[in-house]
Amino acid sequence: MRKKSLIIYILLLLPILTYGQIEGEVLKPQGGKFLLKGATLVTVTNGNLENTSVLLSDGKITAIGQELNDAEARVIECDGLYIYPGMIDSGTRLGLVEVGSLAETQDYAEIGNVTANMQALTAINPNSVSIPVTRVSGVTTVLSVPSGGLFPGTAALINLNGYTPDQMYTGFKGIPMNFPSSARRGRWDKRSEEDIKKDVEKAMKETNDIWERAKNYMKLEDAGAELKYYPEMEQLAKAVRGELPLLIEVNKAEDIKNALKWIKEKEVKKAILTGVSEGFRVADEIAEAEIPVITGPVLALPSRNSDRYDAAYTNPSKMLKAGVKVALRTSDAENVRNLPFNAGFAAAYGMSKEEALKAITIVPAEIFGVDDHLGSIEEGKSATLFISDGDPFEPKTQIKHVFIDGYKIPMTNRHIRLYQEFLERSPGLVQ
Amino acid sequence: MIKRLKILLIVLIWPGLLFCHSAIAQSDNSGQRRVTGTYAITNATIITMPGSILPNATIIVRNGLIHMVGTDIKPPKDALLIPGDSLFVYPGFIDAMGDQGVSAPAKIDNPKDMDPSDPPNDIAGISPERDVLDYWDAKARSVEEWRKVGFTISEIVPKGEMLPGKSALVIFGNEGSSNVITRANGLYAQFETPRNLYPGTILGIMAKWRELYRNAELKSKHASLFVSSANGISRPEKDKTLEALYPVINGQIPVIFKTKDELEIRRALKLQQELGFKMILAGIESGSRLIEDIKTSSSKVILSLDLPDDEASKLDIEDASEEVKMAHERVVDAYNKVLAEAGEFEKAKVPFAFGSAEAKDGEFFKNMRLRIKNGLSEEAALAALTVHPAEILGIKDFAGTLEKGKLANLVVTTDSLFKENTDVKYVMADGYLFEYDIDKTNNGNGEVKHILGTWKYVSETPGGSSEGTMEFKEHSGELCGNIVVDDPDGSGKITRELKDIHFKSNKLSFSFSVMVEAQKLYVNVKGAIEGGKFDGTLNIKDMGSYSFKATKEPDFKF
Amino acid sequence: MLLAQTPKGSVLIQNATILTVTRGTLEESDVLVKDGIIEKIGKDLSAPKGVETIDASGKYLMPGIIDAHSHLALDVINEATAPITAQVAMADVVNPFDVGIYRALAGGTTIAHGLHGSANAIGGQSITLKYRYGTDNPEDLFMKEAPRTIKFALGENPTRVHGRGKNIQPRTRMGVEAIIRNGFAEAQQYKKAWEEYNAVKDKKNNKAIPPEYNLKLQTLADILAGEIIIHCHSYRADEIYMLINVCRDFGVDKLVFTHVNEGFKVAPELAKYTMGASVFSDWWAYKFEVYYSTAYNSAILLENNVITSINSDSDELIRHLYHEAAKTQRYGGLTDDQALSLITINPAKQLGIDQYVGSIEEGKQADLVIFNSHPLSVYAIPQMTFVDGVKYFDINTDKNDQRLKVSPTEMVEPVYLQGEGESCMHGVEFFTNEEASFNHSH
Repeated sequence: MRKKSLIIYILLLLPILTYGQIEGEVLKPQGGKFLLKGATLVTVTNGNLENTSVLLSDGKITAIGQELNDAEARVIECDGLYIYPGMIDSGTRLGLVEVGSLAETQDYAEIGNVTANMQALTAINPNSVSIPVTRVSGVTTVLSVPSGGLFPGTAALINLNGYTPDQMYTGFKGIPMNFPSSARRGRWDKRSEEDIKKDVEKAMKETNDIWERAKNYMKLEDAGAELKYYPEMEQLAKAVRGELPLLIEVNKAEDIKNALKWIKEKEVKKAILTGVSEGFRVADEIAEAEIPVITGPVLALPSRNSDRYDAAYTNPSKMLKAGVKVALRTSDAENVRNLPFNAGFAAAYGMSKEEALKAITIVPAEIFGVDDHLGSIEEGKSATLFISDGDPFEPKTQIKHVFIDGYKIPMTNRHIRLYQEFLERSPGLVQ
Repeated sequence: MIKRLKILLIVLIWPGLLFCHSAIAQSDNSGQRRVTGTYAITNATIITMPGSILPNATIIVRNGLIHMVGTDIKPPKDALLIPGDSLFVYPGFIDAMGDQGVSAPAKIDNPKDMDPSDPPNDIAGISPERDVLDYWDAKARSVEEWRKVGFTISEIVPKGEMLPGKSALVIFGNEGSSNVITRANGLYAQFETPRNLYPGTILGIMAKWRELYRNAELKSKHASLFVSSANGISRPEKDKTLEALYPVINGQIPVIFKTKDELEIRRALKLQQELGFKMILAGIESGSRLIEDIKTSSSKVILSLDLPDDEASKLDIEDASEEVKMAHERVVDAYNKVLAEAGEFEKAKVPFAFGSAEAKDGEFFKNMRLRIKNGLSEEAALAALTVHPAEILGIKDFAGTLEKGKLANLVVTTDSLFKENTDVKYVMADGYLFEYDIDKTNNGNGEVKHILGTWKYVSETPGGSSEGTMEFKEHSGELCGNIVVDDPDGSGKITRELKDIHFKSNKLSFSFSVMVEAQKLYVNVKGAIEGGKFDGTLNIKDMGSYSFKATKEPDFKF
Repeated sequence: MLLAQTPKGSVLIQNATILTVTRGTLEESDVLVKDGIIEKIGKDLSAPKGVETIDASGKYLMPGIIDAHSHLALDVINEATAPITAQVAMADVVNPFDVGIYRALAGGTTIAHGLHGSANAIGGQSITLKYRYGTDNPEDLFMKEAPRTIKFALGENPTRVHGRGKNIQPRTRMGVEAIIRNGFAEAQQYKKAWEEYNAVKDKKNNKAIPPEYNLKLQTLADILAGEIIIHCHSYRADEIYMLINVCRDFGVDKLVFTHVNEGFKVAPELAKYTMGASVFSDWWAYKFEVYYSTAYNSAILLENNVITSINSDSDELIRHLYHEAAKTQRYGGLTDDQALSLITINPAKQLGIDQYVGSIEEGKQADLVIFNSHPLSVYAIPQMTFVDGVKYFDINTDKNDQRLKVSPTEMVEPVYLQGEGESCMHGVEFFTNEEASFNHSH
């Protein structure tokens, strides 16, 4: 009996708890039924619905309508507020690194050139301090991607709630591929043009050999042969077969063209281009090849000194205008929360606000094949959304509530707790 | 290696030695010694100094000095006669900043427990007391190579880092002599460091300069105070680094500051303005924008003989996009500006010299012609190689022109100096004659990399114009390739392997075969390459020669 | 060196919403600039003959943005060979040809503090630059009115470079304090030795000989004499506290902290004893010493009366400091004027130039930026940027390729995928095509 009243006591205090903490209280994600009343719904796929309510239960959006009611549901008054689908960052290292410069905390790059079997999902730290820091911004879903050699591993799409990687996993895996690049690795890279060309040719030859081998593995495997243990090829065979898409990281215009040629030559079944910072130079070719693109960060310097200063800002919109399907990423780990700001800049520099929002919701959901449960506010989809008091791209806007897979996320993290402790330090100045 | 004391002695008595030579001759059982030290070049066009041309003139040198120059001169009996008909005689060139024969000092191991923030001066590259002559080999090949293109005197500078040492004036004379004229003429300075100890960057160099200079001034004052009235003054601690700077702070010798570009020139000018030393800005590649500032500082100017290579500006971008074309225009413009540098200095009436350090002797004449094509007058070009360096180095009493009493340094060419096909036939240095074979040993860029890649060709044969591509590759160090030709037996194109590919200087030749009605036809192509264009002839055995031109496809995409 | 006058312009900007920062917001007002100075602010002003008029109806005018921590346009960042290199000066290595200067102007930044890197406990003297892009003379970029400043650095960087890297002090935070105290103490002795010498050197029969000239100690002595403002790279609260104490011990009160991620933990001390803190908007977790940071840092500091600014330490970030400042509205609810002060009047105070720039007031230098919408909106796009009344950026008329110099041998323009310029802290190399580097160069 006492336990029940304690729970009711806590539940009644829920609105206060969202930004504060009672002594000894532990904030946890809360499951159950929720009724979000009277908000403006930015559905993304069905336009904006004013003064509409959303019912969340069993982890899903069970009903959308104007006169919804449910006695069991906790009500959140959303008058003057906006409901958006949870934002999706299509390229991060979130969970795979804790402190950037400390090697002990870096889990995204394994040794070896062909390590497609390395599962990012395994190494993701569900308790990374960056996760609560990220999700209060409304970014609910990220693709965490390994890096390193030619085929560095298998990336995984995760929702930012859950105590085990499997609880976080939300239905998509892909095989990143670092396409041989003719760009300079940094200001210190002083190789001559010929040397770079030679290096690229060598790397392409190696790449083609490896792909051939993976193709053979697939053929034999599909024919029923019992093959010796070869985890790298087994995983790559999935990419050849089209079971898992290739996420081809490529940036320089010439390299993108080569990658498109390669994809056609090798008849790659499912390919997604990532990075694509010079995509605007070859936008028509990409559009023609009908290959989707994940690009970002938008807040970046142009790739060439002769480029117009806003080349990176306008890149996504130029590709979009040419007919390319564009999703946005931050390429970050601890500051994935800047995704909406990247989208804001993309919107300011050529993409409309609607398109920029799509680029971080329904478009990546479609690219990853998870649009059955993510990417928009529709009945039947996952209750993965956030409630804000304005345009989430604007820094002035506050994100009020976040739901992931139906769980109400505590709107706190270490940054907020430090703010609460130190805004008015006690003792203050001691002379 | 020449011991320092020996140099001193030789330097002090070399004029006397010459007399010794003629006074006490000895037997030479190798038969190598020359028979006479008197030469007469007759009936040549003699340019005694820029702007002074004597046609049909004669010059007589005797024992290392110019004895007489003029028309209607009768050569003395002991003179070896050199017919100068159709030849041109110029004063021997003076290299105002060279490194012929100079080697880098051996690397010193860091002492144990060295503090990288305060290393010993010589390890930090601060050794102004060093003499370049300690690292100089008069017999080095580079001396011969530069003499071959006309250089007779060089102000050589030491190798190293920030303050490698002092320069010296040497002559490219005969093996038997030390060939040293004067030493410790200038303090050579660069913006170079050993990187991992202080000073490790330009920041450190600038700060270190200010500190060294000021401390040299203080120590010099201290030293003179000690000399004038030692009682009660603590004795000055010996410091070879600071003492080596005294001639600079006393205004006796200049700092020869190696400055390639505008920012380096500005940094050197800044130091000069703050500290007040005499300065020669040396090795300038690009600096005409700063002429007014250079004039205000009274610094002398030595331009680098080196020019950037033209591969980038000569790139064929016919088929490239607008964006690429615009970017390329800027590269061409930048290239042309560098070529026009010398002309700009001439226009501003700055009497500059040239320095050869980092330039290639094989490109000397080509580069001079490029400069002349881009604004430099021939007279100013010659002046920069003769009278101006003589003025800057303070040696116009005995060098720079062909006048009586000056050193016998001269260059003899087959045609006017800067004409396209002129060759150097003779060089005389220190009165010793060097003769050169004129068989067109053209140092063209015979580098294979210039032909690797794909070429588009056009050939005019009786059958009409045929086009196609050919490709050159490198395989295990060997050149190989193929050519795509119209199939003589059909209507398509076939690929034929190239054989006997020869590429030397700028001449390319290769052959291939085609089957025509079951008969094998041998085709041979040969021609010359200039920039990315091949101009040659195609020879079919027993069937004649036809024109064959090709252009290289750009390797690099933008 | 010929000292050319830097260009000064005259212009009339009409009908803008003027964000003065210090005197509130003026609707539909004009600013008249004469010879580089803001002559008049008001309504319905008219331009003298020959002065261009710009119609800024519907647009916003704010003071030029000031970045208190930058390494842009410097040919060398770190003279990392000694733990104290106070003798070197960034003014010697300014490169006016860096196209990054134009890109910063395109982001509304008009003044940047060019700093030495953070490899040394005491680094070199900094240079305050006005971004007068287009000149070939580095001195044209110097802000001549700016007081001298110098860079200090605490924490992981100097201890890594010298202690862990070369086995010389400092290797710990204890050592960093010791190095700084030693430097100051030596400087005091140096100063005394020269004072003693100077007192007697012109006397008859003087037997005193001059001490050695040491530019490093001379510079440290100048810091002690209050002639140079210290900007100290620091992160941890305890090291910030340490330097505050060291400076108090030596009588130095011209002290600004930079980065200062944990500044919020010692906000009261910073408010009382220093000239403020210059921070990132939200960078954290890239090193261990910033693991316990918060994006609410600026808000906490400002609310505790610390003069706070937001800086970039990055060639990329310097182009959108207006957006970085706006983040404080999400993380801490700062007002518009508070947020704008972080990138205008506050950094001006920290650089000692607030009497000349940092707000739109009559008599101040005409460093101005016109935006198409309120600068704190993510959709704001700078339209024109003025320095000393001269327009250096115009979104409508500027051509794309703004490079001042092109290499004559550049076959194909190099493409760099990591566009991050030099910074105390380098951006992490993401998704490169090479083996991931486990070591981050800073």
